[in-house]
Amino acid sequence: MQWLTIYKKEMLEYWRNFSWVWVPVVFILLAIMDPLTTYYMPIILDKVGGLPDGAVIELPQMAATDVLMMSLSEFSSIGVIIIVAITMGIIAGERKSGVVELVLVKPVRYANYISSKWAAKLTLILVSYTIALLTSWYYVSILFEEIALLAFVQTLSFYALWLILVVTITIFYNTLLKTPGLVGALSVGTIIGMTAINAIFSHKLTWFPNNLSSYIRQLLHTGEIPTALWGTSFVTISLIVALLFLSFYTFQKKELA
Amino acid sequence: MFNIHNLTKKFDGTAVVKDVSFSLSPGNCVALLGANGAGKTTTLRMLSGLLKPTSGKIEFEGMRPGADIREHIGYLPQYPIFHNWMTGKEFLVYVGQLANLTKANAKEQADYYLERVGILEAKNQRIGKYSGGMKQRLGIAQAMIHRPQMIMLDEPVSSLDPIGRREVLTLMEELKQQTTILFSTHILSDAEEISDSLLLMHQGEIVESGSLVELRDKHQSAKINIAFKGLNEEFIPNLEAISDVSDVIIDKNELICIVKDLEKARQSILAQANTENWPLTKFEVSQTSLEELFMKVVQN
Repeated sequence: MQWLTIYKKEMLEYWRNFSWVWVPVVFILLAIMDPLTTYYMPIILDKVGGLPDGAVIELPQMAATDVLMMSLSEFSSIGVIIIVAITMGIIAGERKSGVVELVLVKPVRYANYISSKWAAKLTLILVSYTIALLTSWYYVSILFEEIALLAFVQTLSFYALWLILVVTITIFYNTLLKTPGLVGALSVGTIIGMTAINAIFSHKLTWFPNNLSSYIRQLLHTGEIPTALWGTSFVTISLIVALLFLSFYTFQKKELA
Repeated sequence: MFNIHNLTKKFDGTAVVKDVSFSLSPGNCVALLGANGAGKTTTLRMLSGLLKPTSGKIEFEGMRPGADIREHIGYLPQYPIFHNWMTGKEFLVYVGQLANLTKANAKEQADYYLERVGILEAKNQRIGKYSGGMKQRLGIAQAMIHRPQMIMLDEPVSSLDPIGRREVLTLMEELKQQTTILFSTHILSDAEEISDSLLLMHQGEIVESGSLVELRDKHQSAKINIAFKGLNEEFIPNLEAISDVSDVIIDKNELICIVKDLEKARQSILAQANTENWPLTKFEVSQTSLEELFMKVVQN
């Protein structure tokens, strides 16, 4: 009941501040940018390239699965930054402004407060992401080749885990600090740090969450779910759950002054 | 109903609230009076559960052990911040539901309190457009929405203009019938106006407490204000020599004689003035006020 109250209030807020408009739009642009530019590159170069007459442009023929992966890699870079940016104030902002004083003097359970906000933000992000990836899948199938529905749904679902992890990391820092900017910086820093760790110890950390996309690439190429993808998913989900409970704990410990 | 035992709060080792103990009985309106920085806000924030006391105990009678104290209290911070994108009614329904009211009940209560605090006509306006006084009244409504047994208001009138101040004080006067009120203020006249008893706080400690009547009886003494043509100071020794005058204080344009027995003192002063032909320009009998008590406590 209380959980749903906060969840609905967040949803109303996303309508009022037009998040439900701009987040899907930005995500769609992000997802279709690469398929479109890749397909039209020869024409674009021809029109604006100013190449000498008679120059022959030969670009490698991209596989449809690679193009879809390009969409995902946009999410891994710019997408992550957007997600952190729209999540970094979700609790920290309310604490900084002081609204939290009026909310938490009511008998609100801290776990409800955090998890409902987490779920609301995930709804916004995952719905936008699904629409965006569907658009990308549509363009890929008409401009390149068709990708099987099953493979697409698997890609969509497994990659969603990475986005959920990003949101959860940001929520965790939200419960720790009350300056949204700092929350954002630390979240991005953590994700970059994870990438670095993964790059250095990749041979040992086969199930590290950052490997999700490379296993998804395998999945798209072979059409079968690699065993390591299950392992990585398991690790990612465990990390998400652990961070969420850690958030409840730190928020409880924290004084809200 | 509400018992506070040895409440202490330290920030980085410095005690902001020291060993505060008091109890509140139902239906009381109590003012927590003190200068800025006396520890009033910190005390209220501990009672509302926003801050954890370093030591001490807060007991609420009739509460199951381990139950959430926040169900029984309402709190209005000194500078209440709302979601400005919500309307007044939406906000009240929201916090009402957070306090475990059903949606229908929350709506009903929201309308009732919007009317009660006098902002019913603005209920569908965004809070961002509310004036300071309207926000303060919405703040009181949100504190009352779940009909708590006690509400705590932190400086409810300090930031308001005279009209808003009057309105909020009248509102508090009405709410007294319904719930126990604990409010902080640094203005004595506000405290005297609506509270039944006072807790005087200074540097984190409760230095004096009691009902208004008790405090007046305890601290009020008679005084005689005298002014002379010419220098007042010349007459201090003469006044001090009179046995019923216990103290002579120099005020701006007059001398304040604190007296033990008003009747005797008046007779002796007037008799002496008559025989020595003092150039009196003012002779006034009055009482020391709580204001003077307040100032005495705060300045020591």
